[in-house]
Amino acid sequence: MRRLTPLFVLLLIAALALAACGGAKTAAPAEAPAAEAPAAEAPAAPAEPFKVAFVLPSPVTDLAWGQSMYDGLKAVQAEMGEANLEIAYSDSMFQVADAAAAIRDYASEGYDLIIAHGTQYGNSLFDVAKDFPETSFAWGTAVDTGADKGLKNVFAYEAAAQEGGYINGVLAAMMSQSGVLGVVGPVEAGDAKLYIDGFKAGASATKPDIKVNVSYTGSFGDTALAAEAANTHIAAGADILTGSAQQVVGAIGAAKDKGAKWFGTQSDQSSLAPESVVATQVFDWTATIKDMIALHNAGTYGGKAYTLTLANGGLKIVYNAGVAVPAEAKAAADAAMKGIEDGSIKPLP
Amino acid sequence: MFNELLQSSVLIGILYSGIRLAAPYLFAALGETVAQRAGVLDLGVDGIMLMGSFAAFYVVFETGNLWLGVAVAVAVGALMGLLMAVISVTYQAEQGISGIGLYLFGLGLSSLLFRVMIGSVKGVSGFPILRIPVLSDIPVIGEIFFNHNILVYLAYLMVPVIWLLFDKTTLGLKIRAVGHNPEAADSLGVSVNRVRYFAVIFGAAMAGLAGATLSIAQLNVWQENITNGLGFIAVALVYFGGWRPLGVLLGSLLFATVNALQLWVQVKGINIPSDLAVMLPYVLTIFVLIFASGRVRQPAALTKPFERSG
Amino acid sequence: MTDNLLPTGLPRIDLLEMRGVVKRFPGVLACDSVDFDIKAGEVHALLGENGAGKSTLMKILYGLYRMDAGEILLNGRPVQINTPTDALKYGIGMVHQHFMLVDTLTVAENVALGLKSSRGPLLDLDKVEARVAELSRVYGLQVDPKAPVWSLPVGVRQRVEIIKALYRGAALLILDEPTAVLTPQEVDELFITLRRMTADGHSLVFISHKLREVLALSDRISVLRAGGLVGTTRNENITRHELARMMVGREVLLDRNKAPVKVGETLLSLNDVEAYRVTGTRALYNLTQELRGGEILGIAGVSGNGQRTLAEVIAGLREVRDGNVSLLGTDITKWGIDKRIEAGLRYIPEERMHDGVIQDFSIAENIILQDHVRKPFSRGIFLDFKAIARQSQKLVDEFRVKTPSIDTPIKSLSGGNIQKVILAREISNAPKVLIAAQPTRGVDIGATEYIHERLIEQRNRGTAILLISEDLDEVLALSDRIAVLYEGQIMGVVDRQDTNAEALGLMMAGVRQENLVEMKAADR
Repeated sequence: MRRLTPLFVLLLIAALALAACGGAKTAAPAEAPAAEAPAAEAPAAPAEPFKVAFVLPSPVTDLAWGQSMYDGLKAVQAEMGEANLEIAYSDSMFQVADAAAAIRDYASEGYDLIIAHGTQYGNSLFDVAKDFPETSFAWGTAVDTGADKGLKNVFAYEAAAQEGGYINGVLAAMMSQSGVLGVVGPVEAGDAKLYIDGFKAGASATKPDIKVNVSYTGSFGDTALAAEAANTHIAAGADILTGSAQQVVGAIGAAKDKGAKWFGTQSDQSSLAPESVVATQVFDWTATIKDMIALHNAGTYGGKAYTLTLANGGLKIVYNAGVAVPAEAKAAADAAMKGIEDGSIKPLP
Repeated sequence: MFNELLQSSVLIGILYSGIRLAAPYLFAALGETVAQRAGVLDLGVDGIMLMGSFAAFYVVFETGNLWLGVAVAVAVGALMGLLMAVISVTYQAEQGISGIGLYLFGLGLSSLLFRVMIGSVKGVSGFPILRIPVLSDIPVIGEIFFNHNILVYLAYLMVPVIWLLFDKTTLGLKIRAVGHNPEAADSLGVSVNRVRYFAVIFGAAMAGLAGATLSIAQLNVWQENITNGLGFIAVALVYFGGWRPLGVLLGSLLFATVNALQLWVQVKGINIPSDLAVMLPYVLTIFVLIFASGRVRQPAALTKPFERSG
Repeated sequence: MTDNLLPTGLPRIDLLEMRGVVKRFPGVLACDSVDFDIKAGEVHALLGENGAGKSTLMKILYGLYRMDAGEILLNGRPVQINTPTDALKYGIGMVHQHFMLVDTLTVAENVALGLKSSRGPLLDLDKVEARVAELSRVYGLQVDPKAPVWSLPVGVRQRVEIIKALYRGAALLILDEPTAVLTPQEVDELFITLRRMTADGHSLVFISHKLREVLALSDRISVLRAGGLVGTTRNENITRHELARMMVGREVLLDRNKAPVKVGETLLSLNDVEAYRVTGTRALYNLTQELRGGEILGIAGVSGNGQRTLAEVIAGLREVRDGNVSLLGTDITKWGIDKRIEAGLRYIPEERMHDGVIQDFSIAENIILQDHVRKPFSRGIFLDFKAIARQSQKLVDEFRVKTPSIDTPIKSLSGGNIQKVILAREISNAPKVLIAAQPTRGVDIGATEYIHERLIEQRNRGTAILLISEDLDEVLALSDRIAVLYEGQIMGVVDRQDTNAEALGLMMAGVRQENLVEMKAADR
């Protein structure tokens, strides 16, 4: 018998190593050229760089939830200088147990701030946070900083995704020829549900007789089913689509092939289909990240909950220059934005 | 409420979607059927599909040549199959474990290559819809059956091809014998391992083709873990289909059509919780598996490495 | 010219010689410079015990093994046979002891497997079927070419194996223990076919360890022992005793004289027992049988007719679905195994390595397997190693177990010696009822002789013994009464002196005892 030979063992190791590449700790590649900030310009710069670790369930290239935080981190890094901010991440941590191990590893290795980018990581995060009181932890979508558990080193963050959803809904309703909109949702919960409810509210407020068809795929990553859902919406008469989570790249592909328009959320998706994507609600986490770093350096390790809104600039509607938006649609969207900012419009019914 | 679903446009939509959705399952499951009939359980299908889909996407992204993409996907699939065959046939490693190893290998490598070679999610223009002349003009039928991209037609063409392979060729007879009683085949001078190599590599090439169907014909984008476990469903469909091409066809169609149906149920706003709707195809699959398990005969030598004994 | 052709249209093999064949396996010399030859039209028997090297020698001839030294000459010219394909090319075919058939395929598909088709890559099953039909007519081997193999009885499957070899142009056919799975009637039919084949010019190698059959069929007999050739003799004026002596290397007592013993009272009885196999199929139907002290009741039958379930039901390893089992007049149907052992019921299981011993345990540990909680092996919760060693050594000496010590792991012993340890363990504390399932399967003649002796000794001292055996000769040699089991039912129970192999064979094939009498009456 020649079972379990060296070759087989080698392959298993290679497989695990590669699988880990989809996830395990990866130092973020340098993009901005270093040495942009000489020491003289930043006299207060600490000798040690600030170390951030980022754990997320999807890839950092998901064009959605994961990428929004990653882009934010890269922006902050570009601003602070690569020598002063070190970023490490573990992505595609779909298994909560793996993520928990990664969070603990980062904490033991002395990272200053550890971002657990998924609601499902909450319990694990609280467990680890107890053991590392001088390390800052952050998680979202969440508002609970663990204060009732006696924790002082946890930040929570969320995005008021319904606000941009409302704006997208207004735009979509104004631009639709058929009067039917389609929504490709992942799982009926959390950030996705907020966004979709806002979208429906915005569309109905603009055109009371508009039809908004909603479907969920039951998964964040089922790209093929998301594409088929988009096709189904189009077959059912929709000419404008939207959706959320990393699976939407499938839906965007389908919209592009069928000539339908797309509204995005979380990360700017116009690069994927420049002729289809009208606008995207972008989650901009830079201010949140910078505030957490500043608080940490000042000795406050947690206890604050952040919400991205249109008013505080954490949410931005980014138009794609490649798709023309009619002036009256743009005007309606601007009006709605003002209304949300001053509180006269409630994006959730 | 339900008569919303009975409109002809909706029924046509469901059937059309079902037929298109079934195509990647068909390629992968028919290929896996060949491997399993020869006695090798290849659980790496999903990893092979990921590699095939990435290879096809990358080639099309760089060159725009769709058929070159298909050819490369098939070749990459075959290479992955060769790896599986070396490990499980020559070195006789436990098949379930090696398959999972191969899956992780494909998942990790395709993600790594994606980051190094492409970097962010991009789109390509894939195989266009090919309306079959005359046939596609038949009302209803034409719309449902003859209005797809070419890889969908190819997937359905593989059903009779695999059936012919099994039932009408000497190679097929060898595959069936090797999967059921390798000692008997060996005693008649059939090289068990050579037949198994062929079957595993062929099956993996089909999985590569299934991957290409996703990335350059149906979705036209590539994303890490784009298959999202589709390859494992394909393995289940082989059991579902009782290791017969026609059974696999029925299983794939049923699974895909029910999936299309649940999407329409949601789109039409029929009041069923979405969590229940998305479970429908899986529940149905389990249900059929339970009822089918009694009557089908699985290849007796499945997962058993062959070694001449005293 | 036509004289040299077989009915298959192929030339006969006038002379095939194997010279100085040596084959080593790790730690074993399986063939020690063996010479063997066979001529057209003859049956040459290869006789020897398990592990004597018969099958190895023939697997070399068929290309399944490669020899380490020696040569093969076909009609005087040396040939290289490295694979079964080579062997078939030279007209050598083999019918294996365990059939090499794919039971999901049809007869014709099994025959066509691995052969070139006249239609290139496509199968030509019509042609194959026609040819199979022709061969079965010529050789009197009735079989339906379109039938799936799983639907065929064992005897017919053997015909398929022979046809497979003939179809491939076998002029020389190796038959490895072909009678092991057949009823006596099927053996007779097989012999008729084989004689017809030799009359047509085929050469047959007949591998067997059954003296009677070898003497009935062969022209010449070669005897192998421990890898070496003891001798080759013409089948003239040679007796079973002489052959047995050649096989074993010493004088062997073949026919046992049993002193009549007064039969005691009923110790074990089964009433309307119904039981099922692990697979859920019914194994025993309303089985009723009694076993008395001082008798050996033989259970005869072809393998797989419920024998194993019967043994397990009595031993308490399998649930009785209906009916009951009683021991010494007490209903033990619901009793656990331990309680049955304590009451004097002992069991020698058929799967000796699997159910009889724990392979990695020493001989001593295996000897106390059931009794370690009882005196004298335990004191309180502790084992008494001195007592264990004393008893183990005593049994090893008494039962002539060949072993370096009582601490040797049992798996390193030969089959015969392992069986002696099991026997010693089961009969050492005077059981009241003993079930012996296939007690000598795969055991050499010497050990078989010894085991038989001890079983009869137990009977003589009043134990009730249920002997379950698929070896009809063994059943006939030991039993006082014989019950025949067929598809989970007893076809009849007969006294040993009132019956013979023929009558038992008919019952083994499913004829009830009462119909047997009618058949005889009809004959007259």
